[in-house]
Amino acid sequence: MRLQLELGKAPKVSLRDALHGAALALLIIPATAQAQSTPSDRIDVTSLLYGEQGRTEVVEPVVRFTHLLPDGQSVSAQLAFDVITGASPSGALPSGTVQTRTSASGHVITSKAGQIPVAPFHDERVELEGTWHKPLNRLISSDLGFHVSREKDYQSLGVNAKVSTELMRRLLTVTVGGGVSHDTVFPTGGTPAGLSDGTIVKLGSNAKNVTNVLLGASRIVSRQWLVAVNGTETLERGYLTEPYKVISIMSHVNGTPIGELTDKRPSTRNRSAVLLSSVYHLTDDVLYTSYRYYWDTWSIRSHTIDLKYRHDLGDDSYIEPLLRYYQQSAASFYTVGFVEGATLPDFATSDYRLGRLRTITAGATYSFRPDFATGEFTVRGQYMRQFGNGSPSNAIGIQRNFDLSPPVNIVAVVLGYSFDY
Amino acid sequence: MKRMTRYLWRFIATAALLLVAGCATVQPWDRDLLAEKKMSLNPSPMLQAVDEHIYFSKEASMGGMDAGGGGCGCN
Repeated sequence: MRLQLELGKAPKVSLRDALHGAALALLIIPATAQAQSTPSDRIDVTSLLYGEQGRTEVVEPVVRFTHLLPDGQSVSAQLAFDVITGASPSGALPSGTVQTRTSASGHVITSKAGQIPVAPFHDERVELEGTWHKPLNRLISSDLGFHVSREKDYQSLGVNAKVSTELMRRLLTVTVGGGVSHDTVFPTGGTPAGLSDGTIVKLGSNAKNVTNVLLGASRIVSRQWLVAVNGTETLERGYLTEPYKVISIMSHVNGTPIGELTDKRPSTRNRSAVLLSSVYHLTDDVLYTSYRYYWDTWSIRSHTIDLKYRHDLGDDSYIEPLLRYYQQSAASFYTVGFVEGATLPDFATSDYRLGRLRTITAGATYSFRPDFATGEFTVRGQYMRQFGNGSPSNAIGIQRNFDLSPPVNIVAVVLGYSFDY
Repeated sequence: MKRMTRYLWRFIATAALLLVAGCATVQPWDRDLLAEKKMSLNPSPMLQAVDEHIYFSKEASMGGMDAGGGGCGCN
């Protein structure tokens, strides 16, 4: 009633607009109806340009082809190609002298005294994904998908399925889904034994199996407000270690790194996440908010808050600033390094991504349809800054003089173009 | 840990029940705004997928969005 009164007071709503809105509303599943009358195809092309200051660079072009069928079905295929170059932290501690490191493929990189040692790498990845969307009746729809990806030392094969049903006069949508993935890890130079000096190497590949389930519900709350809650559970089994990462052994006298052991992680990991989302239509603009709580059996807990605000600049363009805040606690077996002579634990890693971490992201998306083209151009720019724990409590000697987790600055730009034909 | 997990799943169940039990009713002829593409929970799936890939490779968390998706050795 309140909304109707507000509508009644709004002088901008013409009779034509009201009729247009009513027509849309009466056909509240317009995608199906439209597909039945005017089937068409769509091509989406995006390209990611990603760079970390002094570390990794990624170029990832992606093309997606979607074919709409007359009865509301659609099939899509996506091909992605990543080229990843640069260097990433090896996990080792800095020393007071220059350190040189050679990657498994023979690349050499030098780290300055006091600087976090990084290991050079180069990889390429190809991924093919496919999805088949099929309405089963007026209220239930299904999605079936698969993916195949391959890189120099990693392969992933997976299938997934999802069923959504609309309930309560289409106010509520419930989704149930799941997927399985069989991954294979075959490190360059063989798989080093965990917590060893790296000379004990097993040849051949290592299996990693991933199963995930999704339960979600979205609810129309008002004429301009949609909310959703999603829960996911992911079970990982198999080889979950990062074969190229190491852990330093510190001298008990002065903290100088005197040796290295390889990374070793548990072979099981259960990950759980709950995502609460809201989409709210203001007078013209739209506010997207979400909060995710994540926890896993490696004792990592994280909070993610995501905000986006879409402002239409006209019928054919919009700008959408975004802000994201993320923080995680450390894995139970994360350590900055071992003190010489200490008893080794069952599992350990010095990978900063499993340590205490915060990420702040700010950026914006600009989308427009130029006069000379039929499609829609999109540009998204993001700046990310990651903060780790630079002064962990178990650092000793000279390690207390160094920033053991210097902030990481990342810039990511996505260029996109989409068109129907 | 198990207690926390139980608590959170109870929270999800409660939130889901509230979603189901909420008394708000929006008639079909009041859904003009909701029918707009930008009122989708994920209006730009490809951009979202790129973002998720970046976050997955730089952070320890994943999930909450969808089932499936391509695996990679980036984390």
